[in-house]
Amino acid sequence: MKKKQNFLIMLFSYITYKDKKNIKEFYIPEVDEISKQQQDQKIKDEKDSVHKEKKSRATLKKPVSVAEENEERKAEKKKADDKTISTDIAQNIDYIKAKFNAPANKDIVFREFMIAGKYKAFITYLDGMVDKNIINNFILRPLLNDEKFKDTNEGCQLDYIVQRVLETNQIRTITNPTDAVYEILSGNTLLYTDGCDYYITNETKGFPARGVEKPVVEGVIQGAQEAFNESLRTNVTLVRKIVKNPNLTTEFIKVGQKSQLQCAIMYIDGLTNPAIIDEVKRRIDNLDIDYSQGDGMLEQLIEDNTFSIIPTMLTTERPDRTASHLIEGRVAILVEGSPFSKIVPVTLYTLIHSTEDANMRWPFGTFLRLIRLLGIFFATLLPAIYVAMTNFHQEMIPTDLLIAIAKAKENVPFPTIVEVLLMEVSFELIREAGIRIPGVIGNTLGIIGALILGQAAVQANIVSPVLIIVVAITGLGNFAVPNVSLALGIRLLRFAFIIMGAFLGFYGLTAVFMITGMYLVSQKSFGVPFVAPVAPRTTRSSDLISRKPVWKQEKRSDGLNPIGIGRQPKVSRKWTQEDPNYSYSREGNDDEGR
Amino acid sequence: MMKEGKFGTMEAVALTTIVLITKAFYTSIRVLVKATSTSAWFATLISCSVSILLFLLVYLLMKRFPNKELVEIFEIVTGKFIGKILALIFSAYFVYYAGSSLREFVEMIKAYVLPYTPPSAIIFVFLAVVVFFAYVGLEGIARMSYISLIIVIIGLTLILILPLPFYNVDNLFPLAGYSLQTTLFSGLLRASAYSDVIFLAFIINAIHGVKQFKKVGLTSLALSGAIISVTILCSILAFEYTQASENLSALFQLSRNIYFNRFFQRVESIFIFIWVVASIMNVALAFYMSASIFCKTFKIPNHRPSLLPFAFCTFTVTLLPQSLSEVVERNVLFLRQYSAVITYLIPLLVLLLSLIRGKKGEKIKI
Repeated sequence: MKKKQNFLIMLFSYITYKDKKNIKEFYIPEVDEISKQQQDQKIKDEKDSVHKEKKSRATLKKPVSVAEENEERKAEKKKADDKTISTDIAQNIDYIKAKFNAPANKDIVFREFMIAGKYKAFITYLDGMVDKNIINNFILRPLLNDEKFKDTNEGCQLDYIVQRVLETNQIRTITNPTDAVYEILSGNTLLYTDGCDYYITNETKGFPARGVEKPVVEGVIQGAQEAFNESLRTNVTLVRKIVKNPNLTTEFIKVGQKSQLQCAIMYIDGLTNPAIIDEVKRRIDNLDIDYSQGDGMLEQLIEDNTFSIIPTMLTTERPDRTASHLIEGRVAILVEGSPFSKIVPVTLYTLIHSTEDANMRWPFGTFLRLIRLLGIFFATLLPAIYVAMTNFHQEMIPTDLLIAIAKAKENVPFPTIVEVLLMEVSFELIREAGIRIPGVIGNTLGIIGALILGQAAVQANIVSPVLIIVVAITGLGNFAVPNVSLALGIRLLRFAFIIMGAFLGFYGLTAVFMITGMYLVSQKSFGVPFVAPVAPRTTRSSDLISRKPVWKQEKRSDGLNPIGIGRQPKVSRKWTQEDPNYSYSREGNDDEGR
Repeated sequence: MMKEGKFGTMEAVALTTIVLITKAFYTSIRVLVKATSTSAWFATLISCSVSILLFLLVYLLMKRFPNKELVEIFEIVTGKFIGKILALIFSAYFVYYAGSSLREFVEMIKAYVLPYTPPSAIIFVFLAVVVFFAYVGLEGIARMSYISLIIVIIGLTLILILPLPFYNVDNLFPLAGYSLQTTLFSGLLRASAYSDVIFLAFIINAIHGVKQFKKVGLTSLALSGAIISVTILCSILAFEYTQASENLSALFQLSRNIYFNRFFQRVESIFIFIWVVASIMNVALAFYMSASIFCKTFKIPNHRPSLLPFAFCTFTVTLLPQSLSEVVERNVLFLRQYSAVITYLIPLLVLLLSLIRGKKGEKIKI
């Protein structure tokens, strides 16, 4: 019977109207909406607490001693806020807790204890950012050792602790609460004892960092095999290790509001033109931004022309290269958390140099640079020249070669420009995919790439084999560019050249060439014309494209206006002017005239 | 006042030289060879020397008013109204110069390289480049001209040396051409071909004053005279004067003639490249000068807003002639033979007037 009834109800439910069940969905409220809600909640809470207080006051009032009351009043006088450090320990703990959103935020650690059995104290740090060994053995252990506090006086203990107790290497007094917060954020440990109006910060940084490894982007055959890592301290040290000069100065600047990025500016005082240092500092100081991810974002924020295709700063991961530029009179900018340094000001030629050039004997260095220039020429112009020649200027191609190209193209259904774009785009695709591909399946990419670019495309008569050669050489040329940003710029420029070459032949190519040239000569990198010393013409450089022997490079770059342009005297190899210690004079004058 | 930036002597020389030698790529050589036959190569040297003399006279004027540009000098000597008119004549002249050169370029590129491309597309791209150059400004143009001159000189040397097997010294005789009088007369007349150098007087502050003005002017006149003379010489050597007076562009023909073996022949690509580079520099400077003189006349501090209207004017001038022959017979003839009436005569009259009226610029303290 009951079963039947249920069945009826069910049946009935199919034909009756039912209110929809009200499902509440999440939405993101406006900011003022949230604050209004919070205010409402606050008022409600206050009402409740007033009720409770009334109740408690009615029930209980404890008698207090005079001394205690005085202390209470003192504490009331000085509340801990963004400007003052209270002399009361509880106030300070509350302040820091509030700042770090504790106890919701579990990263911040407070350790309270008693010094010498009578003074309240606490240390605070961010978990994971510190070296616990230092805290345990060299801060906590001495502090808790009552022996050390035999001859203390009354009052603030911090001074005494700094002088006689703590065993850490770097200690600073902090009188500003905002600085105190920043110290905690950078991985240091804050110490406070009751009754003082300042903090002590101990150097305890100990966050995980990569070791110093081989350079990944700027590998060389001859030369140092060290690269920067993500720790700013290590990077600065790596440079200082090479430049053993007391005038090498490192200044720190914080960037960003929501996340304060630590940025180091390195220069050699008394060599680098002060105006350059000043300008770098001015630009970084006057950044009002939320967050800077690293050196790449910083570069975009402080470069001269944001819309430039070609970079106007040098990015390097090599400490030795950074050092050599510092000694040249440039400024290096290093950023916490990024394994690169930015060097300003630079010229176009700096971007096509490599560390290796300096390590090689001059003929090889020069030869390598010429090869690199050839690479740049191929990377920018080769496909465009191919398109222009086959579309407009067939008469310029030697007849036999023309026949070969025409034969290869006979079965291909596309016009040359489509062919070229097809290959270029697929090549770009392979390159991009090659970077993003997970390492495990990386090998497959090579196979796919080779198949698409090579055999299959030709066999299917999609592209002509000559074009494959052109695209391959272009790709090789692009990889020969030693600067990644410059290589990217060239990749973009190439497409402009290809399109103009397809529309207007050599004339179009030359037009883009002139525009590019004009664009480059009008750029500046921190006040230095980008194509100097060629345009504008200044003093000839001994290390531009052809490298003179090292001992002949007597002057620094003129464009940088360094204090003291001379690198070395005219005769730097003094040993050539004196006789060897063990020498003999040849008999006869068979060497005369040499 | 307009801020034009400053540049060094080398760049100024490069700028002037590239403007002066661009003619060698065009019909100039043909016209001169036609008029003076085998003596063309020293006829142009006569033109050059006459131009140097006239330039020195202009230098006297500039020396009287140190640190003043020609536009200001016009106003000081002839009063504000006439001074402005004189300056505007120069502005218009440079528009005409830019437009005519552009048309000559377009006609030639149509004949030689891009027969099926609509001329408007060619003109549009060219003007876009030119406007961009003028937008960046004089400093950029000067720097670019230095790079361009290097490219042009290298290319030119190649084109002149590679056809060596075709050179025949006999083609040079008789040395005096039709007659010495004809040569002298043509040479005098075509001093106008070197009169573009006058633009230096309008940017005298950018090239660091009168002293540099003289140095730059003389150096570049001598240099370009030599280059053009050598080009004409090579042209006559290779083609003898009858054929050389028929070639539309002597240099193009030379580059086409190059033949070493089946693989290495016909290197017009070099020619096209340096020819376009030189033409762009030439027109860009003339275009910039027209806009800049206009702005200086009316004391407009920024030349950039005036670029598009001037581009339109230049475009119009470019389209005015009906055909290549009209360009060559009218526009180019005026520019190469009679333009001295404007470029040299006006400053010289102003010099005369300033002498008569006793006007002089302030002395600069050294």
